[in-house]
Amino acid sequence: MTSITDAGTVTSAPHRMSFYRRHKDVVDGYLFLAPFLAVYIVFLVYPFLKGVWISLHNWNLMAVAFNPDAKEFVGIKNYVRFLWGRDMTWDLTAAWMPRLIVLLTGCAAAYMAMKGQITRRMAFVIGIGVTVVWVLLGFHPGEGGRWYDRRFWPAVSNTFVFVILTVPGVTAIGLALAIALNRETRMMTVYRTVFFLSHVLSVSVVTLIWAFLFNSQRGLLAEVTERLGAEPIVWLTNPDLAMVSIVIATVWWSMGIAMVLFLAGLQGIPSERYEAARLDGAGGWALFRHITLPGLTRTTTLVVVLQTIAHFQVFGQSHLMTQGGPNDATQTVVRHIYQAGFRDSELGEAAAMSMFLFVIMMIFALLQLRISRVED
Amino acid sequence: MRNRRQYWTLVGGLGIAAFLWSIPTLWMLSLSLQPNEILARTTTYTGFGLIPYPFTIENYVNLLSLGNTPRWFFNSLVVATGMTAVTLVLSTTAGYALARIPFRGRGLVFVLILGGLMVPEQVIFIPLYTMFADWDLHNTYTAMIIPRLAVPLGVFLMMQFFRSIPEEVEEAAVLDGAGRWAIFTRIMLPLSIPAITTLAIITFLYAWNDYLWPLVSAQRQEMYTITVGLGSIQSNFAQTEGLGRLMASGVMASLPVIALFIIFQRFVIRGIAMGPTK
Amino acid sequence: MKYLLMAAGAAAVITQAAPAMADTELVLGRFFGNCEAAGNDPTVEVGEACIITSIINGFSAADNGITVETLPTEWNNYYDQIKAAYAGGNAPDVHVMHRHRVMEFASLGAIAPLTEDELAGAGIDTADWDPAALEAVSFDGQIYAVPMDFHALLWHVNTDIMAEAGLLDDGGNPVVPTSVEELMAQADAVEAATGKDYLAQQFQAGVFGMRTAIAFAMQQGASVIEADSADIESPEMMEAAKLIDTLIQEGHVNVQNDYANAQQAFLDGEVAVLVNGTWVVDFYDSQASDKSVPLANYHVTDFPTLFSQPAVWADTHMWAIPAALKENDPEKFQAALQLLAHINENNASWAKTGHMAVRSSVLESDAYNNLPHRANYAETAANSRDIPPSVRYGAIQDTLTRELLAFWMGEKSLENALSDAQLDIEDLL
Repeated sequence: MTSITDAGTVTSAPHRMSFYRRHKDVVDGYLFLAPFLAVYIVFLVYPFLKGVWISLHNWNLMAVAFNPDAKEFVGIKNYVRFLWGRDMTWDLTAAWMPRLIVLLTGCAAAYMAMKGQITRRMAFVIGIGVTVVWVLLGFHPGEGGRWYDRRFWPAVSNTFVFVILTVPGVTAIGLALAIALNRETRMMTVYRTVFFLSHVLSVSVVTLIWAFLFNSQRGLLAEVTERLGAEPIVWLTNPDLAMVSIVIATVWWSMGIAMVLFLAGLQGIPSERYEAARLDGAGGWALFRHITLPGLTRTTTLVVVLQTIAHFQVFGQSHLMTQGGPNDATQTVVRHIYQAGFRDSELGEAAAMSMFLFVIMMIFALLQLRISRVED
Repeated sequence: MRNRRQYWTLVGGLGIAAFLWSIPTLWMLSLSLQPNEILARTTTYTGFGLIPYPFTIENYVNLLSLGNTPRWFFNSLVVATGMTAVTLVLSTTAGYALARIPFRGRGLVFVLILGGLMVPEQVIFIPLYTMFADWDLHNTYTAMIIPRLAVPLGVFLMMQFFRSIPEEVEEAAVLDGAGRWAIFTRIMLPLSIPAITTLAIITFLYAWNDYLWPLVSAQRQEMYTITVGLGSIQSNFAQTEGLGRLMASGVMASLPVIALFIIFQRFVIRGIAMGPTK
Repeated sequence: MKYLLMAAGAAAVITQAAPAMADTELVLGRFFGNCEAAGNDPTVEVGEACIITSIINGFSAADNGITVETLPTEWNNYYDQIKAAYAGGNAPDVHVMHRHRVMEFASLGAIAPLTEDELAGAGIDTADWDPAALEAVSFDGQIYAVPMDFHALLWHVNTDIMAEAGLLDDGGNPVVPTSVEELMAQADAVEAATGKDYLAQQFQAGVFGMRTAIAFAMQQGASVIEADSADIESPEMMEAAKLIDTLIQEGHVNVQNDYANAQQAFLDGEVAVLVNGTWVVDFYDSQASDKSVPLANYHVTDFPTLFSQPAVWADTHMWAIPAALKENDPEKFQAALQLLAHINENNASWAKTGHMAVRSSVLESDAYNNLPHRANYAETAANSRDIPPSVRYGAIQDTLTRELLAFWMGEKSLENALSDAQLDIEDLL
């Protein structure tokens, strides 16, 4: 962050000057800020606090609208309801897959700390986080027990799966295209436009197109597979492929932004580096491996974090293409919140789940901030 | 010679990829130009449906003369334009204050606003819903525009841009006796037209494509934006409108953003590249 | 940008200043789809969307000082939207709803109770309503809506395919199976003779598969769900779910179909029987007479009874008025009552869709009983059953649908699916 400069301000302040003249900067500063700050406080800070407030109540959408006193303070009951279950136990082997991934993340962080790639403090923070998550994932309902909200954790897990499939897809295709298109010729400019174009479409246009492309009876993909002599693949109503389908549609939709970020990143790699390496006889792959990739480390991290933040909030694709199905295979956190609020009228629960979403978003955002700061 | 050939191989390969990439969009366009009776049975009548034969513009005629699509289109235009205009005012003033006015508490305000980046619409749409319900403001343009104005991204974008303008420009004006407002409107704003354009386009695109909040806030079809309206007719029970008309609505929903993007793509791309990276 | 802004601003002013006429304006909320081509005369229209539109248009056009602005809403999100509208204080002045939602809306005080006097004052004779219709619109001893129909699942049949499979009776009508064995035999016969699927219905993105299963369970005497208890894991429910599973496993029905695809398969002549509602009878009838539609000979009957007692899923469409309107705007409330009376008057026209009428005078009329196919599903009204109303009805039917579908699609064992459904629904109740 650039330091605050006092250039242009009048520091000699004789007492006959008016209040405004004496406090010119403060007054001006807040006057310029006032319009935004007012909107910001009323429509972002206040709703956030009100969300916390609602989450502590049993708050029926319609009942409270008709009678404001119909809400009942229940403390953290709403949180317990979606986070917890009855007869919970803890053991080592529960949810071993995600826990293994968490553990490996921890090991990677330790390795990077040893190599000096991240600070010890950072490694410490990651270590704590990993341990907490690892321990928490060990909880599950024991014999005869069950989650109070059996659909919440699967929705969280689906959302993670969606992110884990979408983000690498977007990143890899975006990177490949950026490298291929990183030439200032007219054809390349046209191609860039074409590849980016799908990104400006709105979510309902994207789902409209892809829902029919994937349609197992009348769709384009079904027709193609049929002409190739195969049975038409059932996409959207197959529990194994439904998520893949919305991932494909999403990659098509949001790849453009990654491509543009990578193109910007590529511009930032000095061409002398390539020339020097070429003089040393490095070929295409070696250039990519030793110059392009290291030069794009930061951009890649940024793309991954931004995409993760964006896609963790997925709603429209699952709401419009699969209605969360089949068998909840594409139910996501935001759609679960939407249903709790507007199908089941339980605003208290919906608000509490929003706070869970916030905590995850905050972790990602802090990560992003951290990366941006490293960059500066 | 070898390089030339490599280049043209690349152009060819990418051409095929670009064509494949545009198939979904072209398919929508083509389906929108075919009669509904055929589409009820198959969407791949001629050339996998990519060739609009038999050809008809009936879907567009119906779209414009009947139904809600023109109204939704208009709503989107009002919401997106309104949101863009107000966002520009709020972001430039606040961005200027944070970038160039050294006042007490600036650091604190900055952190407070920075925190807002961590609160996406999806986290606060439930309380926002109850607030606008209490004020009896749902199904209005106001309700659809205002919540998005609080998102601080534009403020940061403008703040960064103002910081990159050399101090000397301002100092010269101060020596000439110009006040702060004059400096802001006569010097800083004209200098930042590229950044403002970028912010405008990005805000417009966002507003046009926003889905969750307008879905919750507009319960009356007459107040739907095109994005929400199109979502509502595609999940229709029996698709009474016909697929051709559905696709025509999709084309209509996309035309303004595509046009805007093609005209201003320089700004869009710069906006993405500079926005969140710094 | 400047001009765009100015144009947008100007247009906004114009559209908001427009309606300044003397007519009382009623806002009406409904599903049923759009029909822009509809006129004012329901007798010439076909299909739910066009018939309801023309009934409402007729009311608007009449010289009664009232115009109606319709807000068609899509079925999938209808109740989410209407609840959000109530909570936001801008519910439509009149809206359609189902019997199964009366409890939720009435108990929360959303919809207004309508007294006999008020109804009679508007010209609605509640004594003319079928007793079942009166019960459908009542909650806690009070009337909350004006009923419009009984609707239920029917057995829509492609006669040509049945003929090919040799499944016509002496009168040339398709034979309706009366037991599980007969049903399976029919399915095999259709497959052997034509290679086509026997049955189609919505399984994906909707609740019909679940409704069929519940009907078959109820035919065995199961209660499935009572007011505050659930019995999902009953042997009857297992039997019903397994029956459908067998049809799927043996390739007689495609579990991948959603509503539109199931209907399209039927109209394309690809399937012998379609399970769908009363609302499409006149539409399929008109499609069958269209030369370009492969379905040529259309027949429809009562949903078959395969077990000891008849039962079929059914519900009622009805029209309600928000409590707030009754309290705050007596003039509009009266206008809304008049609209309800007009809809009540047009009960016979609405029944043309294929729905069953609610007024005894219509039910007994020749015009009604001579509607195409009407005589073939005369038993349906008496056989109607559904899971009971509940404030969580939406969540309950979603749960049942999800779990049954998980079994049918091979995601879960029958036992697991039903016990999960049982526990979830106990939580909801």
